[in-house]
Amino acid sequence: MSRRQATRAVGVVILPLLVAAGGCRRTSPTPPGDAMLDAIRAEERVGGLSYGAGQGKHLFAQYCATCHGDEGRGDGQNASNLNPAPPDLTTSKNARDAAYLRRVITQGSAAAGRSALSPPWGRSLSAQQIDYLMAYCAAMTQSKR
Amino acid sequence: MKQTAPTSLHVAFAALGLAFLAIFSWVLFHEGVADWRTTQARFRRIEATVKNPHQLAAAASVGGLRQIWLPELDRVDRCGTCHLGIDDPSFAGAPQPFSSHPGTWLTTHPIDRFGCTPCHDGQGQATDYLNAAHQPQPFVTRPMRPLETIEANCGACHRAIDAPDAPRLDEGRALIVQSGCFSCHDIPGFDGLTFHGPALDSLGSKVRPEWLPGWLKNPKGYLERSKMGNFRLSNDEITVLQAFLLSQRAIPPLEGMTVDWKKADTANGRALFGELRCVSCHAVNGRGGTMGPELTRIGDKVRRDWLFSFLKDPHRVQPETAMLQYRLTDVQLRDLTAFLLEEYRSGDTGPEPPPVTYQDARAVMAGRGIFERRGCTSCHRLGAMKNTGRIGPSLAGIGDRNPDELAFGRGNVRRTADNYIFLKVLHPDALLQTSMMPTFDFAPIEAARIALALASIRKADLPVSYVRNRPMPPPFTPAGHFGELVTRYRCLSCHSVGGFGGTLSTVPLDRIGSQLKHDYISKYLLNPGAVRVSVEARMPFFHMLPDEATTIADYMTSVLLDDTLDRYDATFSEADVQRGQDLYTQLGCVGCHQLGTVGGYVGPVLSDVGDRLRPGWIAAWLANPERYKPGTLQPDYGLSAADARALTAYLSSLVDGGRPKSAEQGGRQ
Repeated sequence: MSRRQATRAVGVVILPLLVAAGGCRRTSPTPPGDAMLDAIRAEERVGGLSYGAGQGKHLFAQYCATCHGDEGRGDGQNASNLNPAPPDLTTSKNARDAAYLRRVITQGSAAAGRSALSPPWGRSLSAQQIDYLMAYCAAMTQSKR
Repeated sequence: MKQTAPTSLHVAFAALGLAFLAIFSWVLFHEGVADWRTTQARFRRIEATVKNPHQLAAAASVGGLRQIWLPELDRVDRCGTCHLGIDDPSFAGAPQPFSSHPGTWLTTHPIDRFGCTPCHDGQGQATDYLNAAHQPQPFVTRPMRPLETIEANCGACHRAIDAPDAPRLDEGRALIVQSGCFSCHDIPGFDGLTFHGPALDSLGSKVRPEWLPGWLKNPKGYLERSKMGNFRLSNDEITVLQAFLLSQRAIPPLEGMTVDWKKADTANGRALFGELRCVSCHAVNGRGGTMGPELTRIGDKVRRDWLFSFLKDPHRVQPETAMLQYRLTDVQLRDLTAFLLEEYRSGDTGPEPPPVTYQDARAVMAGRGIFERRGCTSCHRLGAMKNTGRIGPSLAGIGDRNPDELAFGRGNVRRTADNYIFLKVLHPDALLQTSMMPTFDFAPIEAARIALALASIRKADLPVSYVRNRPMPPPFTPAGHFGELVTRYRCLSCHSVGGFGGTLSTVPLDRIGSQLKHDYISKYLLNPGAVRVSVEARMPFFHMLPDEATTIADYMTSVLLDDTLDRYDATFSEADVQRGQDLYTQLGCVGCHQLGTVGGYVGPVLSDVGDRLRPGWIAAWLANPERYKPGTLQPDYGLSAADARALTAYLSSLVDGGRPKSAEQGGRQ
């Protein structure tokens, strides 16, 4: 067997092997998972909140929940000190009116002709934060519809 | 003579020419039907429905590639070629890729200065969906980040540890600070921060010998929130390490103590435990502060004599502790010690075991070897033993580590720096069996938060104009008697001055002398009550001496001042007070503040606010609360100067249970 024939024979053997190896590589059983992302989603997608609503939830807990309650039902720890008592945001019709809600959050309940007990947050919170709060309030009322 | 080329060359040239023509026309055709052209045509159709003819006429014509060149960041972003409505609010509800950017991010990060990929990642130069790496692609190191991890890119520029607008990053960095990762790793952005486990010089006189092996085996078995990781030690390693540690008795318990333990009154100890506000820092049965260790099973762990000595003078054995030195009598100390050991234990612990004397010098030496090898000195001080420095590798540039160089083990995981850091934090030994890093038993979400914060540590140095560095507050180390008191009562464990100190208290001391009245400070220090009813962590009852309280009040009211507050003209008219009272009702202050017996308990009680606060501070605080306390629950009402003054006048008049001072005097006249 000449040298040339030997090279050819080796080529004939190796080429299909390479092709087969390439093929195997492509048919891996399951696509690799994103461990970190899965961990975050498992935590944050509880309740099906969007990113913005999730941020709003944190803000709500900090600024609103002492009176409005953790879930907006008007049962915060300070609610009993208030007259009139805070409304249940999950059922309130006004809370579903975005323009009304934005006015109350930024300018306070007095600006909507109600009591002065819910203060204006328009100067303390950024427009971004208020958008987040609105998103969370919308999610809260939607879940009740 | 005429020379002719061989026919074969003619054929080759012809073929080459044809091939060139074919490629050229294919390129022209391909460009003509490129994705972005059809996308732009689609955009023009949508624009016609979103805008009226006037707006359309005014709108810039859309055509051709659009790119943002950021030479400082070495980036060219062509995302705008398709994302045509990104900075136009009228496209808020439009379908992708035309929707305008949500939120106000483009206001704070103008698109011509920040582009797209510094925040989002992806291939900025691409002009079609696939190549832009909207989804993970083979051979693309940094595909676009999903929203869940995008805050890792915030952290590349925003390097202050607090990142309130990026809550996930904020949480991750807080976890790094709490866990003290920088004790073992050099972590850029966390330099200068320290983390200490207890000094171990006198461990042999501190702990009951039977407690130690369990702790070394699994610290979380004793304390669920233990900050010490699990070093996955073998039983043999534990035996020798125990021998080494228990032989440490450099500082014996205070000598000459004549404590009659039989007379110990645990009821008095229980009362003291509540009165001293121990739970502000220590949790018991799952509730309480996290600055100090949980005490739920302290009776299983420490020796009686040691606890007594520690409570009497914590700084003698633990110079770096955050714990203050109360001024208690030996009888009080005895009762408190007896109460703690009896109340907080998992069962009858039996009599105090005698100190262990180890004869086996070889075991002690072997234990010492393990102590050094596992980097225990990174967190624990032990007499003359040299601090070997940070045992772990530096984490500089970890967010840009090439995944191909990282040991991923066998899991079916997408190989990214993010996933590597996450898995490493979660189970250090799952990736590399010989890993020296202890396991911290983080919940997956905690590991993800830490990984996100670490992923923001990039290799390339960004231009200075883009970076917001972490402020490095200068240490506050006052001299003299005041300095001694600050050390003894560990004021800076909770309070800060100029950003230096703790964060448990919401009241920084920078301008405290201009905020509070002298008499109030000294009275409050002697018997700290609750100004904010609903706050759980309260100032401890120090059992301070009256002249110590006066010294502190003197120092505060002469040094820790803010001139702009002190210059306030505090002579008010009756009309001011009256107008202020009306405003108090109009603004709904009663919703959060108690006055007498009426009102909410979100904010501080105002019944004696005139005795407590100086008028200049009240006015400044009402005018701009966010300036003094970011994230405060005090709303900014945007008061006019006159209204702020009137409200200040009214509040300054409130003394002695909420009756306006001047009204009372007016009644008597």
